[in-house]
Amino acid sequence: MSAIQNIFVLIKQVPDQSSKAGINPDGTIDRAKAKRMLNPFDRFALQAALHTKKTYGGKVTAISMGPPAAVEVLLEALEHGVDQCFLLSDKRLAASDTLATAYALHKVVKYVGEFDLLFCGLQTTDGDTAQVGPQIAERLHLPQVTYCEDFKVEGSKVVAKRVVEGGYEWLRMNIPGLITVANSYHPLEYKTLRGARMVQHLLRDENEKTKYIKIITLDDVGADPVKCGLKGSPTIVARTDKVSEIGGSCIIYQGEPVEQMVSETIKNTKILEFIKS
Amino acid sequence: MLNERIEYDFLLIGGGPSSFALAHHLVNLAKKSNSKFTMAILEKGKEFGSHIVSGAVSNLRVVEKIFPDYKTSDFPMEGICEESFFSVLGNEKKWDVPNILLPNGLKKEGCAILTLSHVVYWMYNKLKEKVAKDPNIQIDFFTGFSAHQIIFEGDRIAGVKVIEHSNDNDLDNSVYAKVTCFGDKGFLSRDVIDKYKLRDNPQIWSIGVKEVWQLDEKKDYSGKVWHTLGFPLVDGTFGGGFVYGMKDHKLTIGMVISLDSENPNINPQQRLQDLKKHPWIQEMIKDGKLLKYGAAVLPEGGYYSLPKKFTVNGGILLGDALGILDIERLSGIDKGMESGYQAAEVLHEGLLKNDFSEDQLSKYKEKIMSSFIGKELKDGRYFRFAWQENPRLLKSYLPILMNSIDYSNPFFGFLKIAFTNNPIKAMFDGIRLKLLMDGFESGSVKYKSDYQNIIPNFNPETKIKADEYVKESIYSRPDAVFYAKTKYHEGNMHIDEFKADVCIKCIKTYDALGKDTPCVSDCTAEVHRVDILGEKRMHGMSLENCIQCRTCEIVCPEINLRVRPTMEGSGPDFMGL
Repeated sequence: MSAIQNIFVLIKQVPDQSSKAGINPDGTIDRAKAKRMLNPFDRFALQAALHTKKTYGGKVTAISMGPPAAVEVLLEALEHGVDQCFLLSDKRLAASDTLATAYALHKVVKYVGEFDLLFCGLQTTDGDTAQVGPQIAERLHLPQVTYCEDFKVEGSKVVAKRVVEGGYEWLRMNIPGLITVANSYHPLEYKTLRGARMVQHLLRDENEKTKYIKIITLDDVGADPVKCGLKGSPTIVARTDKVSEIGGSCIIYQGEPVEQMVSETIKNTKILEFIKS
Repeated sequence: MLNERIEYDFLLIGGGPSSFALAHHLVNLAKKSNSKFTMAILEKGKEFGSHIVSGAVSNLRVVEKIFPDYKTSDFPMEGICEESFFSVLGNEKKWDVPNILLPNGLKKEGCAILTLSHVVYWMYNKLKEKVAKDPNIQIDFFTGFSAHQIIFEGDRIAGVKVIEHSNDNDLDNSVYAKVTCFGDKGFLSRDVIDKYKLRDNPQIWSIGVKEVWQLDEKKDYSGKVWHTLGFPLVDGTFGGGFVYGMKDHKLTIGMVISLDSENPNINPQQRLQDLKKHPWIQEMIKDGKLLKYGAAVLPEGGYYSLPKKFTVNGGILLGDALGILDIERLSGIDKGMESGYQAAEVLHEGLLKNDFSEDQLSKYKEKIMSSFIGKELKDGRYFRFAWQENPRLLKSYLPILMNSIDYSNPFFGFLKIAFTNNPIKAMFDGIRLKLLMDGFESGSVKYKSDYQNIIPNFNPETKIKADEYVKESIYSRPDAVFYAKTKYHEGNMHIDEFKADVCIKCIKTYDALGKDTPCVSDCTAEVHRVDILGEKRMHGMSLENCIQCRTCEIVCPEINLRVRPTMEGSGPDFMGL
């Protein structure tokens, strides 16, 4: 049994995939209009962090960056059993690309303090770059394991199973280090009764809420505003094109008798040709 | 905080109309008397209302008491019933029974037409608003958490556990309370009934299946309410249809079918499809679209199935857990809410005296029995029995009446009933039915459990005829499930089959008769099936289809199934039903 003190996990709020997100005139996503959710990839990172706490001890801190509404995903993390949260929220961060985001987040990580393991999701569903995790590790001069599917802590090292094309790598990494968790890792366990209860308590008591969720700005973490937001982002969204509407022509055969439906399906579709080919 | 017990003053099991009526009234009373309390509400659905399905036409007498301003505060209503009919359906035609012949309970004019899931969701939001800034009252809402096991401390109910097979000292998954209020449909309250041996007479159930349709824009039936008898239930099974016109060109079509049928193959979802094949309904839903499908069981036993005690040490039974639905008046929602209202009175008195002893709680029974619940249940106490004791009513007389509706006149039907059978007997049957329905004292009634009525080789004497209907308006059972929007978590295993051998034997029995087992046929959602493994024909389940109605458990002739509440907010999504 190894002693783990502090576990960090980075999570992000993204537009809900099932709702239609609006697009700003400059081609970026209109986050205010879209329904929001916890980035599905981050659920695996959260599970990895909570599993580490359960198995090796320690305290889980969830860190996020985004507009004030991103508090929602931190509350969700608390429901699942996270101990405390930090949200970096600053207007000057708007339109950050991965370089600027990783810069700002590494500052937050430094600000929050010492840790043993830092978990990230593989990527987000809004940016799909998978760059922020590795960049943070580089900025912090830490070893990293990406695409991690499984891991265990052995003394001062983590033994991690990394997914590669056609198989796995087993890696041994020094602690502290950063892990991006693959979506083939265990799905996030259901929220806990205590967590759900605490969140309701926090929603009633603003004072108490600030104890568990600290909202910080660039000034708090000592980040250079020039390196953040649009100014700090060399990436330019030149144009956003709508490729096509998703959804084809789908006919639903229903009713009875079943035999008749089957024969109609065969008659009206190319299913037989498909099966023969 | 981590190792302490999760404890409240009051714990409500299930977020239904009775629970929310209790919570609202208790908050109102406590605000007046400046009392403090904490409360938790556990709801297995992912949202309040997502496991709620009901007709629903309801008298708003309790809503008016709890929310005097409901008319101006967005109370969700589909309309007020302006015309109410009771119709007997033949195979082709419909006969509206003249109003003068109807018992008052079936006249629904003035009642509200509701989507109960929306009402419950509204009650939840109102409650949340009401207590948000109150320093004295703390209410925690736990959606997606179901109560699985009662925690007993000696003779007292001390709380519940929210996961299956939890170990004894699992404080993280236990909720404790001074008083636990059971507002469930039996998922957990059956354990209370069993433990304290509260029911001599078993509860008897019926299954309600319901569809909501979006109609062609030219059609508007809002404010109209029909209850039907006859087609397609001609096998002697007690039950009938209901059709409610809602606003925005929507229509509710449903059936309530008693599970005390002799027929082992009722197949409620397909009976509802049969009802839809009737020309009258075909005309209404022509060019319409199915929006939602759902099903739920209703406790039908009424007065004679009431438990001996309505409260135990540390526990109160509300609504359907108590079984106060009135099948004669088709009234359950108002009675459920009234039970919550009366429980709140008792709990508030307890708060003032700091007394939640069994003695204090037991005042609840007296309050219920002296309220309209007790009075109306007593009036209608023989209603179900009247139909049970005389199978001729539904098996012989009803088909004759239906026939006369199709081919001559209902009046001739009555004459035929009187004279083709033994006239004295028919007259006696009529008088007896009227007397029983009027509550003429006839001694106490004993029910059998529903499954005990099943006759495996039952063959209906009369069959329905329905040939002309639009094929697209009829849905197979698996197709219907799609409209109940079920969603389950990985590893879901919420129906127990106790002994596989018992099921194999049962399947063999029904195979030999060329029938499906009751679980396979009566399932409302294509859960139960027969799997073939070599020579063996075994019972299998597609649990991801389950819409949590509990019919299989009730009709299983071998008492070999048990439906547990789902976990993690899984199950159907009945919002809009």
